[in-house]
Amino acid sequence: MPMLVPMSEWLTTSDGKPRGYIQPVGLEELWFHTGTNCNLRCPFCLEGSKPGNNRIEFIRLSEVKPLLVEALNLGVKSFSFTGGEPFVNPDMFSILDHALDLRSCLVLTNGTEPLLNRLARLEELRQKPFPLSLRVSLDYPDRERHDAGRGSGSFRTTLRCLERLHQLGFNLSIARLMARNEDGPAVDRAYRDLFASHHLPIETRIVAFPDFHTPGEHPDGVPEITENCMTTYLTAAQRDRFMCNFSKMVVKQDGRIGIYACTLVDDDPAYNLGSTLREAMEKRVMLRHHRCFSCFSCGASCSEIH
Amino acid sequence: MSHFIHRVEAVKRLSPSIFELLLDREEMSFEVGNCVALFDATRRESRPYSLAGGINEPVLRVLFRALPEGVVTSHLKQLKQGDELQVSAPFGWFRPGQDDSNSPCIFIATSTGISPFLSYVRSFPDRPPAHILYGVRYLAEAVGLPVLKAACPVTLAISREAVPGYHHGRVTDLLDRLPIRKRTQIYLCGLDAMIDDASSWLEAHGVPFTHLHREVFFYANARPHE
Repeated sequence: MPMLVPMSEWLTTSDGKPRGYIQPVGLEELWFHTGTNCNLRCPFCLEGSKPGNNRIEFIRLSEVKPLLVEALNLGVKSFSFTGGEPFVNPDMFSILDHALDLRSCLVLTNGTEPLLNRLARLEELRQKPFPLSLRVSLDYPDRERHDAGRGSGSFRTTLRCLERLHQLGFNLSIARLMARNEDGPAVDRAYRDLFASHHLPIETRIVAFPDFHTPGEHPDGVPEITENCMTTYLTAAQRDRFMCNFSKMVVKQDGRIGIYACTLVDDDPAYNLGSTLREAMEKRVMLRHHRCFSCFSCGASCSEIH
Repeated sequence: MSHFIHRVEAVKRLSPSIFELLLDREEMSFEVGNCVALFDATRRESRPYSLAGGINEPVLRVLFRALPEGVVTSHLKQLKQGDELQVSAPFGWFRPGQDDSNSPCIFIATSTGISPFLSYVRSFPDRPPAHILYGVRYLAEAVGLPVLKAACPVTLAISREAVPGYHHGRVTDLLDRLPIRKRTQIYLCGLDAMIDDASSWLEAHGVPFTHLHREVFFYANARPHE
């Protein structure tokens, strides 16, 4: 592990208490970051993605292939892909074509032109041995708030994309933003009404995410997680559901592949756990990143397998 | 993907608000439909622009509309020959005329959304589209018209002035006149409202959604090519 913070800070909180951690058990899910290039420029993007951005570079099929094999050897159950917008990566379809021969796949997408323009190619992937699911970002169940963040017209485009994906028979879920003090069940009901009016299954899974802040941001007042917090406030089952327990993410930066602890910490090189999955899975993950608190406090998870 | 420095060859004012930026090629290769992000290094801002030049031309061409509040375009329009500009590697997901090269294709654009189609006709003069439908506000904004007309039939819609010989109105008024066949692939680039309206009309009139290919950038605070 590139130890870019002092060991004492890595292992203990600012008041000297043992920091909470997760000791990974086994690799069930492998994520690939496809790159921070995106067709949208959302000011709240937790990845800081936008057109032409290369903080995280496009991953190529030749770089993915050996990791798929290594993951299979470690017993992986599924592969997932996030960005940026994965469908702006020129290798995305060839990567999916390969990965869907091996395991089920999930792609997180904004459901706009990069995907809409390739629905004919996407439809071909329905013939693969394993299924492809798509999680589409629909931040709010109303046009005004969604378009305020993503741009005028994007709400309608994304709904159009969802309708088409459903017609083509893909498994769908929605990623939405979670506001502070929101009435979660009421928000979900608004989504169900929206789904019904657009001929989408009303039982479509909705995954809510809190504000993760932009990359490199250090929001004030985020509590630190101690070992005591992990054992006092969480059960063993809840600790098992931390993504860093069963999942890792592959990231390409500066031309090199790194295995990160989870999908939310790629802005901190301390969470680059090595270049192979095996060595990454052996590393204890200290819950030091401010986004770790989201997992701790509200069970946030990018995964759909737990 | 890396960023590169390119030297400015010229900034041409093509109409009161539309400019063409010419950059030295620096051996950059790109595909028709690709964009590049252009940077205002001082403000640490970038915006994507579709490339409008041919894939074998010695220069890179970018069209942009300059607006008073334009974040990057206010920088671009004051560039002079010999200035340096930070440019991303080309990227993109829009491939005019290339999703099914055996089928006829039609291009529909508004304003500087004509860029990828200019790139296409400059790159593939032997594979012209069946038709181009082009919407502008004023005739003076119909940039590249001679290049387009040399390639294929072009229908121009002018929304804010009446000009004899051209349709006064929007491109969506003219969709029913397009020579759409069963396998025709339709490529749209420009303002999101036009693209949405045109897509809805075309689907309602029997064009499969897998035959529609769209290029639009969504912005919370700015539009593409501005």
